[in-house]
Amino acid sequence: MIPALGLLVGVIAGLFLDVSVPLELQPYMPIAIVAALDAVFGGIRAVMEGIFDNKVFVVSFVANVLIAALIVFLGDQLGVGAQLSTAVIVVLGIRIFTNVASIRRLVFRA
Amino acid sequence: MTDQDKNQQPPDDAADQVPDGAAEKTPDTSPEPGPAAKKPAPPRFTPVAPSGAKRFWRALTKRPHAGHVGVGLLVGILGFAAVVQVRGDEEDVLAHARRDELMQIYDGLRRQGDRLEEEITELRRGRDELISSADAESVAMTQAEERLRQTQIMAGTAPATGPGIQMTVSDPDTNVRSVELFGAVQELRSAGAEAIQIEGVGSDTSVRVVADTHFLDADGGVRVSGRTLEPTYVVTAIGNPVNLEEAMYFPQGVVSKLEQKDAEVTITQFSELTVDTLHEVQEPQHARPAPEED
Repeated sequence: MIPALGLLVGVIAGLFLDVSVPLELQPYMPIAIVAALDAVFGGIRAVMEGIFDNKVFVVSFVANVLIAALIVFLGDQLGVGAQLSTAVIVVLGIRIFTNVASIRRLVFRA
Repeated sequence: MTDQDKNQQPPDDAADQVPDGAAEKTPDTSPEPGPAAKKPAPPRFTPVAPSGAKRFWRALTKRPHAGHVGVGLLVGILGFAAVVQVRGDEEDVLAHARRDELMQIYDGLRRQGDRLEEEITELRRGRDELISSADAESVAMTQAEERLRQTQIMAGTAPATGPGIQMTVSDPDTNVRSVELFGAVQELRSAGAEAIQIEGVGSDTSVRVVADTHFLDADGGVRVSGRTLEPTYVVTAIGNPVNLEEAMYFPQGVVSKLEQKDAEVTITQFSELTVDTLHEVQEPQHARPAPEED
């Protein structure tokens, strides 16, 4: 209940507040969003499997975002930012696919 | 929070909350493991454990739990950030594009610029053509207007100005007949008169002499194109004044014939005079333009 409301409130706030991404954060935002999406899908899967835990979700969410941002930051410092962010996106994308596949199996049993 | 009923064994991987084999951790254990192992198909379609969707729905509709505030906050931040990012992307694509992307964009823009450049050249050419054709059109217009003026002078529908002569024929006994006036007009024409009018001072009428002008005798004067002119006659002709005057003085010419009729003729040359009587053109009743033959 509260997470769904939170998502709704967040989207509405993003739509109606005139906020733009700070310049220093701009390279990290897309990666962080994808990492957070991964955590969210993992959480949904956990809910469906009946093993959801608040603490685990919060920790995994924060850690995902921070690690993804850190990797991109490191990559930028090393001059391979583009490649590393691609790598992070690929890995996170695979994980999202896996999670969504599990969710699909749980929902449709197929 | 950890004493939550569904979370009997906290997952070890923080990011991936889903350890393998979720079935063995479901709290509602399957009551008949034996048949399920033998015939896996029928129990799968009549599951005792709630399905994923059911669990999700239950989680959604469950009474709010204080421990979910953090989760809601994080998810809200995610939604907010995603929306802001997407909107920012709409605003400026270039700000966080990388070099090869920038190169690509630049390339595309350059190609587009080339195309637009070509379009500009083409449009300019079109514009120049239009301008020149407009010029040609205005030249044609001027020529057409000039022709119109000339035709109007010939048809007698416009006043004409130029050098010419004025011949005054005072005819106190009204001896002058249409033949003499017609002869005078004929002579003037053959001497190159371009516009002629005849004024009858006695009846204060004047007639522009045009192609269909005709001369008839009338009581006390001459009938020209349906109007009766009474002496004195004033013939105004535009043309070379010298030629016109000489044409009047031929032996057995206009002047001598008029003087035989006891009329008095005075001819004055003008460097500038105006023929201002207009001829009213009537719509031809019988003649119509013949179709052009190819």
